[in-house]
Amino acid sequence: MKKGFALLETLIVITFLIVSLLLLYGTFSNMLSNSKKNILYDNASNIYKAYYVKEYLNLGSLQDIETNDIREITCNEINISGCDTLLNELEIKKLYIANINLKEYDKEKYTSSLNNYLDTLSNNSNNKYRLILEFNNQDILAFASIEIGDIYE
Amino acid sequence: MNKKGVTILELLISITLISIVILLLIKVIFSLDKINNDKTYASNDEISRTELIKNIESDFLKLKLEGLEIRKEENTTIKFYYENAYKELKIAKNKITYNNETKTLESSGATYDLCPSYEYISLDDNYYLIKINIPVLINNENTRVEDDINLTYIGLKKENNNYPLNYVCP
Repeated sequence: MKKGFALLETLIVITFLIVSLLLLYGTFSNMLSNSKKNILYDNASNIYKAYYVKEYLNLGSLQDIETNDIREITCNEINISGCDTLLNELEIKKLYIANINLKEYDKEKYTSSLNNYLDTLSNNSNNKYRLILEFNNQDILAFASIEIGDIYE
Repeated sequence: MNKKGVTILELLISITLISIVILLLIKVIFSLDKINNDKTYASNDEISRTELIKNIESDFLKLKLEGLEIRKEENTTIKFYYENAYKELKIAKNKITYNNETKTLESSGATYDLCPSYEYISLDDNYYLIKINIPVLINNENTRVEDDINLTYIGLKKENNNYPLNYVCP
């Protein structure tokens, strides 16, 4: 009777080892994806770029932009002559203004990269809006944001 | 008789399968250990880079950047001129020093490019943009721009300033 169990026992052990391996791999891939987020989301130089864009384009005073969710803004709406040059030089592909308390919005209108970034943002602030910059460098999308509103003015 | 033969065969299969799985496990553990070490070094470098960018950019804004000078000898030095002072950024192969604070690269094969890129761009009649990029090379290749040290500044043209219009690395 006992002799017949060797293969079954092995299979159980192998299954156990494979499950452990998968768990280990899952933990590490999570760590790797977190480290990717650290680099592509809100890195120091991009936050300073966001600050300069906000100051130069005078976006801190854009209190009349009424949006409950998120919307893209273009240089045509901002009447500042160096806007295109600035965005081009800083490799900024798109600018968005988003409500701080962004809860429900039409995710299908935006890329999955932007939606993933928005999921990481906190909505705990006294400011009303945030400026979001989408960078495109060598086909890699990176994001940074800075709050806009009374507190910063 | 038949039953005994099956048991030996089963044992052989068991040993072979367990050996293969253990070998795979050891290989995976070693590669994960390497990834973990690389990640720790990369993470330390990232913290250093963030601190350095924050220190320099804060000085740009608080002390008001008025000019700069780039000099390449054995190492590269960027001298930042502020309203009432100057500070130097010294770039060596594996370390960078700003205001007497040194950060050393830990990632394997990582070095600073001693030829930073610099641009002075006129945004409009009143404002200029300064862009400085210090590339970080992995085995002499700039594989990921996110690892570079990127510095930006927007200033007023009418204020005192003394910038080179461009920089060509000798």
